[in-house]
Amino acid sequence: MEDISLQSRIDVLSEQQVLIQDSAVAFIAQDEELKKTRDNRFVQPGFDQQTWKEMAELGWLGFLIPEQYGGIGLGFDDLHTVLIQLGKGLVPAPFVATAVIAASVLVNGDNEAVKKDRLPALVAGEWKPALAWQEARGSMCVKAEQVKVVDGKLSGRKIFVPDAGGADDFIVSAASAEGTELYLVNKDAAGLSIDYEQRVDGGFYGQLSFDRVAVGDKVAGIALAEQVLAAALDTGRVAASVELLGVMTRALEITVDYTAQRVQFDKPIGSFQALQHKMVDLFILSEISRSVVLQTIGLFDSQTSAEGRAAAASQVKARCSDAALQITKSAIQLHGGIGYTDEANIGLYLKKAMYLASWLGNASAHRARYAELTL
Amino acid sequence: MTDEQAVNEYNVMDDDTFRTMVHDFYVENYPDELRFSPHRMHWDEIGDWYLILSKKGWLTPAWPAEYGGMGLDANKLLIFMDVGESYGVGRTPDMGITMVGPLLIQHGSQEQKDHYLPKILAGEYIWCQGYSEPGSGSDLASLQTSAVRDGDNYIVNGHKTWTTLAMDANMIFMLVRTNKDGKKQEGITFLLIPLDTPGITVRPIINLAMHDEFAEVFFDDVKVPVVNVVGGENNGWTIAKALLGHERIFIGSPKFAILAMSRLKSMAKSVSLFDDPLFVERYTRLQLDIEDLFASYKRFVEVLKRGGSIGPEVSMLKIWNTETQQRVTELMMEAASENGGIQDGIETGDGLVRPAGEVIASRPTTIYGGSNEVQRNILAKAVLRLPT
Repeated sequence: MEDISLQSRIDVLSEQQVLIQDSAVAFIAQDEELKKTRDNRFVQPGFDQQTWKEMAELGWLGFLIPEQYGGIGLGFDDLHTVLIQLGKGLVPAPFVATAVIAASVLVNGDNEAVKKDRLPALVAGEWKPALAWQEARGSMCVKAEQVKVVDGKLSGRKIFVPDAGGADDFIVSAASAEGTELYLVNKDAAGLSIDYEQRVDGGFYGQLSFDRVAVGDKVAGIALAEQVLAAALDTGRVAASVELLGVMTRALEITVDYTAQRVQFDKPIGSFQALQHKMVDLFILSEISRSVVLQTIGLFDSQTSAEGRAAAASQVKARCSDAALQITKSAIQLHGGIGYTDEANIGLYLKKAMYLASWLGNASAHRARYAELTL
Repeated sequence: MTDEQAVNEYNVMDDDTFRTMVHDFYVENYPDELRFSPHRMHWDEIGDWYLILSKKGWLTPAWPAEYGGMGLDANKLLIFMDVGESYGVGRTPDMGITMVGPLLIQHGSQEQKDHYLPKILAGEYIWCQGYSEPGSGSDLASLQTSAVRDGDNYIVNGHKTWTTLAMDANMIFMLVRTNKDGKKQEGITFLLIPLDTPGITVRPIINLAMHDEFAEVFFDDVKVPVVNVVGGENNGWTIAKALLGHERIFIGSPKFAILAMSRLKSMAKSVSLFDDPLFVERYTRLQLDIEDLFASYKRFVEVLKRGGSIGPEVSMLKIWNTETQQRVTELMMEAASENGGIQDGIETGDGLVRPAGEVIASRPTTIYGGSNEVQRNILAKAVLRLPT
């Protein structure tokens, strides 16, 4: 499929970025027909274990983890080329939830023993943690309130934990008498029950109910926990935005390609000005999104205040969520009837966009947070 | 510190120092009564400011230092622009600065550079653009104003229109037809003409803002030396496209949208609109449209700074910028209630804001420089490569 993005026209990649991008392009080319994406829909754990192993072999799971813990310690600068391809290929793997968000919490926590013990296993693809932080729908609050820890026992409920079915352990935020703390909790711990909600893209969210569940190792204490969570979630918002950029980019490529092939009234429908102008507007949205992504990853790779990061994360998540939804919805329209069938792959892009756009705060929520932070 | 030394120092200054320096200069030197002018000012209003900038060496921030520009990098250029817009600094008759100058730097002969560039910098040559004709708007290549060779001269006859600030200019750069056979794009020549040449008549046109910002220019047997051609006879279309590229990056710059947004903000503060959550949502949406445009603009300017060239993709900036600016003015008008229908402005404590005037003044942005519909045609064909 022809690359219509402006990346090759106006952006400059380093040699290393090109190498990483090439391997990611080759990786998703193995499943161009999206067979794996389809096979793993609506069945637990909602993603492909083999794919996860292959990503570990490529070293990708250690992108944001320092070398001393077995990672490769690179920045967003390099990682973003992978995330774009994961979005383009609708790769069925909880990369952002595990290798970005959970990894970030562990790396920035203050339990050295846990880092030494667990991070190399995460990098190797042998251990998957999932972060359970959210307590209310639409909330971005990192202060734990509803889930409490008393005498080393957790009680309460966490919601919207992505791909919980494939996790080995959870990292759970909980309110102690002093404030928010973060603990590891084993998935099989007594008193923990999990309900699953099917997502439109075929994956699952877990709802975790804790009934006096014994905590494992502490990941971060009250001095750090909220700040570690906020940083990990903002990093995750940026990563999800980059994945959304990949989703919208490929959806547009597929659509431009389709309208150039599809003949009605004896002409390719892509030759009609009404459709051309619509696709141009979608293209502009995708490139505006790419510009914000590039600006944001630069900012996250440099020294920036937590507040500056939060505003930037909201800016990029608002844009990419809106743009991806608008592009994928319009893509269905431009495909006509075939776009409304499950058989056509374009619908898979809409559903992935719907999941990612809604997760970690949707566009309206992030605009509201941006206003609070900047007005 | 002389200005010559300063030229090389701007880009290494830290951003805040640079911002403060530019701001302080505006506060000290820019006339209060000209801040946030509702209309495009004529030379008799803004000419002195042109000369102040010229003297300071700040007239041409984007030109390379070797040609007398500030040679600002992308980041500093954006700060420079941002400070000016926030302070309400008016636009000078700047076609020499933003269009002819960059074009001559790229395509002019050494003699042309030596002759014209210093005179632009000194404010001796003030330019206007002769492209559109009554019968040639979006289809610019169909233009009919003719230049017929007569020894070392051309004899020019025809009629140009939408010529911004023609009454203030003493030079016009224009496209003329030098060949009527073959492909229409291949018979066009780029010509520089002094406006005091006998046979030229300028007639102002009153626009929707009730202002004589643009004009018609008539040519009746006007004699022009052949040396005034830029880029060779019948190469005008190529040159014009390069110049349109310069114009589009200029139109694509976020300055107009930023200016409109800063007026909206002043108004919102003065009438307590930020207490209304519905307004805040709409305001933030526009704010982000502009912030995101800013990120895109920087991405394009980086290409220029690397020495690369920008292709048809730059049309996306023009579309996004102008349509965002219009949406900002429309929110301004709606938030102003009945004031949205009156000529006068609202006093904000930070100057007058004129919602109705802003809505009207932003109308031509989606028309000039190639209408936004033409820009979309260009993107569909040259970037998305959609079939015809």
